[in-house]
Amino acid sequence: MHKTSNFSTFKYLTGFYYLALTLAGLGACIAVILFFFVLQDLPRVPEPLSRIIETPATEIIAGSGERILVLGGKESIPLDRVSPYFVRAVLATEDHRFWEHHGVDKLRTLKALWITLFEPGKVQGASTITQQLAKNLFFSFKRSYKRKFHELLVALQIESRYSKNDILQAYMNQIPFGVGAHGIENASQTFFGKSASDLGLAEAALLAGLPKSPSRYNPYLHFDRAKARQHIVLERMVAVGAISRVEADAAYQKPLSLQPFSSGARTGSYFIDTVIQQLEDRYGPEIVYHGGLKITTTLDPQMQRWAVDSVKDGMEALDNIIGLQNGRTNNNDDGRERPQAALVAVETNTGAVKALVGGRNYAASEYNRAVQNHRLPGSGFKPFLYYAAFDKLDLHPASVFEDQPVRIPIPGAGAWQPQNFSMKFEGPMILKQAFIHSVNTIAAQLVELTGPEAVTGAAKNFGITSPLAPVYSIALGTSGVSPLEMASSFATFATNGIRHEPFFIRRVEDAEGRILEEHIVRGEKHLDPACVYQVVDMMQGVVDEGTASMVRQKGFKLPAAGKTGTTNQYKDAWFTGFTPTLCASVWVGYDREMGLRDANRVGITGSRGASPIWVDFMMKATAGEPFREFSKPPNIHIESVDSTTGRRASFFTKTPVQVVLKDGQELKTPWQ
Amino acid sequence: MMSMLLLVIVISELRFDWMEQVLGSFLVSTNATRPESGAIWEIGKQTRTAHQAIEKIVTDRRSSYREAGSATSFKQIAATIQPEEWLLVPPDLFRTLYLELPPEVAQEIIPSFELLELINNRDWERTYFEKDGAGLNVYMLDKENRVLKRLPISPDLLYMMADSDVALGKKLENFPIFEGRIYPADLFFKVLKDLTPEVRDGVIRRPEHLLRLPGNIVRVGISDETTSGYIQIGFEIESGAQQMVILLRGHEWAIWRLHSLLESNQQPYGKNRP
Repeated sequence: MHKTSNFSTFKYLTGFYYLALTLAGLGACIAVILFFFVLQDLPRVPEPLSRIIETPATEIIAGSGERILVLGGKESIPLDRVSPYFVRAVLATEDHRFWEHHGVDKLRTLKALWITLFEPGKVQGASTITQQLAKNLFFSFKRSYKRKFHELLVALQIESRYSKNDILQAYMNQIPFGVGAHGIENASQTFFGKSASDLGLAEAALLAGLPKSPSRYNPYLHFDRAKARQHIVLERMVAVGAISRVEADAAYQKPLSLQPFSSGARTGSYFIDTVIQQLEDRYGPEIVYHGGLKITTTLDPQMQRWAVDSVKDGMEALDNIIGLQNGRTNNNDDGRERPQAALVAVETNTGAVKALVGGRNYAASEYNRAVQNHRLPGSGFKPFLYYAAFDKLDLHPASVFEDQPVRIPIPGAGAWQPQNFSMKFEGPMILKQAFIHSVNTIAAQLVELTGPEAVTGAAKNFGITSPLAPVYSIALGTSGVSPLEMASSFATFATNGIRHEPFFIRRVEDAEGRILEEHIVRGEKHLDPACVYQVVDMMQGVVDEGTASMVRQKGFKLPAAGKTGTTNQYKDAWFTGFTPTLCASVWVGYDREMGLRDANRVGITGSRGASPIWVDFMMKATAGEPFREFSKPPNIHIESVDSTTGRRASFFTKTPVQVVLKDGQELKTPWQ
Repeated sequence: MMSMLLLVIVISELRFDWMEQVLGSFLVSTNATRPESGAIWEIGKQTRTAHQAIEKIVTDRRSSYREAGSATSFKQIAATIQPEEWLLVPPDLFRTLYLELPPEVAQEIIPSFELLELINNRDWERTYFEKDGAGLNVYMLDKENRVLKRLPISPDLLYMMADSDVALGKKLENFPIFEGRIYPADLFFKVLKDLTPEVRDGVIRRPEHLLRLPGNIVRVGISDETTSGYIQIGFEIESGAQQMVILLRGHEWAIWRLHSLLESNQQPYGKNRP
């Protein structure tokens, strides 16, 4: 009985054995068929591997010659120029049996397969460095069994064809580390400002942890996560015997000095974004990212750093005024949105954009408020109105108008009744006083006389390019403009009406130094220099004694002119001002167009919100510049007048005001 | 036996990775036959496309430069530059072309003393030409590409600059502008001879253009269209079997004087010819 039972068990086992053998044979046949099927669209592997890893970089260069960004290119460096710490960290973390396997780590693969099949919800990766290299070079990041099989076959080929050193070198030269850094040399320069050969253990461990998820472990945005990942890398290194526990602990404790994100590889990120956008529009993305161009820009890196600092400091001060805690995120801890800012600085006699900041923190928001944001300029638009009035109506700064309630009927839309900021009416005054103190009722009277088309026409001649609605309220800046437009159009005032197009790119060359384009600095003259100078003189009054007098209070001594702007409900605060050489425009406000108010709910004006940033920046940007007056056109003269009557000032005039008059514009004497 | 063999295969594979090596070697042998596909090859293709596009831009520009370098007139320069394109050349080329112009046209572009001043102050580094509709804009630039002087050359001025055009294998009848205003050469020269030297110079401003050409002038056509104070005259020339028309421009006032005399001396050829 027992014997019979043993015999039948043996029979079953034998049967099972042959069945398994048949199935294995069948599986092998299927595998062979599958192999040849998959082989058809398996990609060709380049020889040598580095040949196509090395793509020429497009370099963006500052006006000073400093290289500020490398686009698209990948530079391959030999393995002996990579810190041994990094090599050990990568091997420990990604593939500690790298030197032993032939492209596939079978034990790790079986373990991963087991976990994937029998532990629901868990997925274990088992890719070797060779498989990762194959994936990065040829395949998308879409997960599929076919892709995995392709990846495995390419890994086997790479292992058969190349040495381990070649594979490791290729791998290290193409891994993505985030923030646009590809390859270890690029990453090392980007994050630590040093060559890959100089990386210490702590730095190497941090970098080795990033490729797993470059955005999740981005040390600029999530330093704590990056630090935790560094700890994992160090632990792995200890576990595989690459370093001792003491070394790991010391490295973890060592402070990391990351290159500042805004002033390192991405100095002037908003500026660079604008440059790249312009290049893509002209040449197309393929040439920009793969053409190996050399682009010389107008950026002044030092000025850019000052601009970034001024915006940062100014906005932190504003956060305090508003009652928000300081921080680098878009929102306060209690969820309240932080206000934003933009600053553009333009060289007046060329139009070269020297610095541009499109927001308070590029890492938190890439939206470029200096170029893309078209906000109402408020009274910042009045210089164009006054120019139009002087040019078209032959009015002058001593012409007298009455500050009084104004009602301008608008067909089909009731009447426009602008109010003064002070909600008071001061009676008669000369135009210069009305301008300096930004009197809205007089601006309304002027636009009624000139017609809105004359104002929009003047604004366009100065350099405003946004569409402007020809309505009466244009006098008070009710059409959106960008800070870049404001800076470039105010720069036209500084040059007595010679307009220069703002530009970012001086020259574009190909990899061999052949010039593809060059910017020609050409000025266009469509404006009357005498009228322009009359407005400039009034704008100097704004800085010296008007709504932007805080510029002088803060100690800015060079001749300067400008105009503040504040829109309804304090949604926008502007100050655009210039010296004879440099013009800067600063905008402050919320992205969602809420009102800017301090902790006591008092509105924040252009003078209070934007001027401090302007002063801080201009003090640094013009430091050491000689004292230089604005150039005067030949056909003007200066008179002293009474600020309310506009008559020539006499000994008895209490508040004489100096005005600029064109030759032929005569004043009444006090007794006339 | 079979099990033993299987065991040996599995163990030797785990120990020596021979299956990976065999597969890898096979794949290496088929590498050349497989497609250049995948991310890195795409980048390679994009790089090649980018370089070809750049090469085309550079080649086009170089050919423009070559043509500009051998240009003998501003009109040729204008023909070289395509809309939206530009040309950057040394100041010498401008000077050469300027000196080739008839003095009255040259003065309209820039007075010669002003040009002399520009040359003397040594800031003028390069000359930038750009198309402006049918005309040409010339910018004299300093080292930093700042414009020292802008010289707009209108289409009319360009037209006037081209002193002569030669139309080979053509007769005056091929030009509608001369219809009804074609005269025998001997009559033309007889009348011309009777005019004052000033009027003669006004009619044929650059006689060397006629002297350079072989053959005899057989007929002369006079246009009735005025452009910027100039009127076109066509000289039909026969040189053996070859026929050509050379077009010159004369001052309007001189041509009208000549024309009235021609009319009073003889009915013209062309439409009214018997």
